[in-house]
Amino acid sequence: MLITLNKITKTYQVGEIEIPALRGVSLSIDRGEFVAIMGASGSGKTTLMNIIGVLDQPTAGQYLLEDKEITGLSRNALAQIRNKKIGFVFQSFNLLPRTSALENVELPLFYNSGINGDSLSGRQKKQKALEMLKRLGLSDRAYHHPSQLSGGQQQRVAIARALINQPPIILADEPTGNLDTKSSQEIMAVFDQFNKEGITIILITHESDIAKYARRLIHIRDGQLL
Amino acid sequence: MSLFLTLKVALRALIRNKVRSILTMLGIIIGIAAVIAVVAVGQGATVMIQEQISSMGDNILMIFPGSASSGGLHFGAGTRSTLTPQDAEAIMNECLYVKAVSPMVRAGGQVIYQDKNWSTSVNGVSPSYLEVRNWELKEGAFFTDSEVKAASKVCVIGATVAKELFDTESPVEKTIRIRNMPFKIIGVLVKKGSAAFGQDQDDTIIAPWSSVSRFLQRGSFNSVNQLLVSATSIKTIELAKTDITSILRQRHKLSEGTDDDFSIIDTAEITKAITATATTMTMLLAIIASISLLVGGIGIMNIMLVSVTERTREIGLRMAVGARSKDILLQFLVEAMVLAGIGGVFGIIIGGSTAEIVARYNDWPVLVSAQSTVIAFLFSAAVGIFFGFFPAWRASRLNPIEALRYE
Repeated sequence: MLITLNKITKTYQVGEIEIPALRGVSLSIDRGEFVAIMGASGSGKTTLMNIIGVLDQPTAGQYLLEDKEITGLSRNALAQIRNKKIGFVFQSFNLLPRTSALENVELPLFYNSGINGDSLSGRQKKQKALEMLKRLGLSDRAYHHPSQLSGGQQQRVAIARALINQPPIILADEPTGNLDTKSSQEIMAVFDQFNKEGITIILITHESDIAKYARRLIHIRDGQLL
Repeated sequence: MSLFLTLKVALRALIRNKVRSILTMLGIIIGIAAVIAVVAVGQGATVMIQEQISSMGDNILMIFPGSASSGGLHFGAGTRSTLTPQDAEAIMNECLYVKAVSPMVRAGGQVIYQDKNWSTSVNGVSPSYLEVRNWELKEGAFFTDSEVKAASKVCVIGATVAKELFDTESPVEKTIRIRNMPFKIIGVLVKKGSAAFGQDQDDTIIAPWSSVSRFLQRGSFNSVNQLLVSATSIKTIELAKTDITSILRQRHKLSEGTDDDFSIIDTAEITKAITATATTMTMLLAIIASISLLVGGIGIMNIMLVSVTERTREIGLRMAVGARSKDILLQFLVEAMVLAGIGGVFGIIIGGSTAEIVARYNDWPVLVSAQSTVIAFLFSAAVGIFFGFFPAWRASRLNPIEALRYE
């Protein structure tokens, strides 16, 4: 199993009050799946994504990523897991402003040098980023800043960034939320393409049009899977 | 992330906010420039004082007669005539650490040559005086031991006296009248410049001590105002001092327990005292200047806090793609250090040139030493680290989820 969640609970403490966001979620996702997690706002789907993306730690329960225990690891170890195993795609793109598409795509490469001895030279990094942009049809946009790109193009840059370290998992949080229908379809086609190449895609959305691209649907409500 | 890349990212972030970065740097520039200028000017002044003191002669010991006392009332130093020219000879012969000795008899008065006159000091010395004072003749010759023995009325004049009385004419072989006594000029000294405290060393006439004593001073023939001793090196000054003390005590037949009837002062002591004063002043001014550096540092901290807040989303994103706390900390720390470092470089340039201008204007040696430059630069980098650490640490502790959602 790629991802195994076992009775994951997440409770937020706001002053004296405890707010449960996730209440015993158990879930397994296999390599190569295309999963959509659906739910209304406040259902806990963002919390679930944060936990799967190891941006957040569960209050209780067990999380195995590639059969290895994740819970209880240090901040630094989690940062390395995010770098190597997970590519994030956000609703608001989150590209660095006034920075070229190329450099945005290169960014994750800067944070994985020297760990497995696979550090690349500056030139190799640039080459790799250019290839990734080419695969997403953005060769002619490599030196454009995000403000000079359309929404769809910006999201494709973000996908290139997510894929640059060849992670097994892409985690996309409402990736089409800020895009028009045409761009949305393009982006979903890109995900579909990469899924066919073996990358596991976990999509978080509340739109059923988008969710239908996935081959497995998971519904969440009030912190529990349905 | 490699250090080189971190540096590149930091530079780019600073260039993105040019005006803000320059204004922040200005605080450091002013602080470092003030410190550099104050220290350089202070050190330059100290060296100048030291040079002036050493222009009096190398490793000089000055021996003065003791104070006279009458019925419990002590008079000032030099009021008794306990030193003799024979003391000078004894010191020269008996003390190993002495290079040269000259007795000194002081007088002063009006000097006349034809229609010109000038008031100056007259020092009666022995032929070894030139060696003691490390002085040379520009023209003519110095008097010899036989001229001292004969109390000949010959003299050697300083550059200032030569200029006042003879202007461009050669003074050698001319006869001047000192207090109406005719003295023949046999030589002219080279210009030595002003000593510490500003007196003109060239405004003087040098004559055999015996002649000065006999013709220009009413004192007894066999006493002198002062002995000038030159030690063999700076290291032997203390040894020479001890030896001279025991030689003079023996010659003056002072029994154990009585005070010395003379006192010994060395130029090293004077130099030390003046240098200490100048150093204290420099330190004090440098501390005041450092306060502006401190204010500059606070400016850096302020702007870094603003920068961290502005770039919260960027920090969140970097964390999401794998930046460790250390990477974020380093990124902002390097940014603060670059600010402070560039400020430091400009501060050094501005402070150094200010010191140079001040030094040139005052005819001081310029002393922007490599050492003080390196220290100033390291200090500005340290200011960057110190004041940049807190904002950088705050950035590194951000929660990536909250940072990503920050509006």
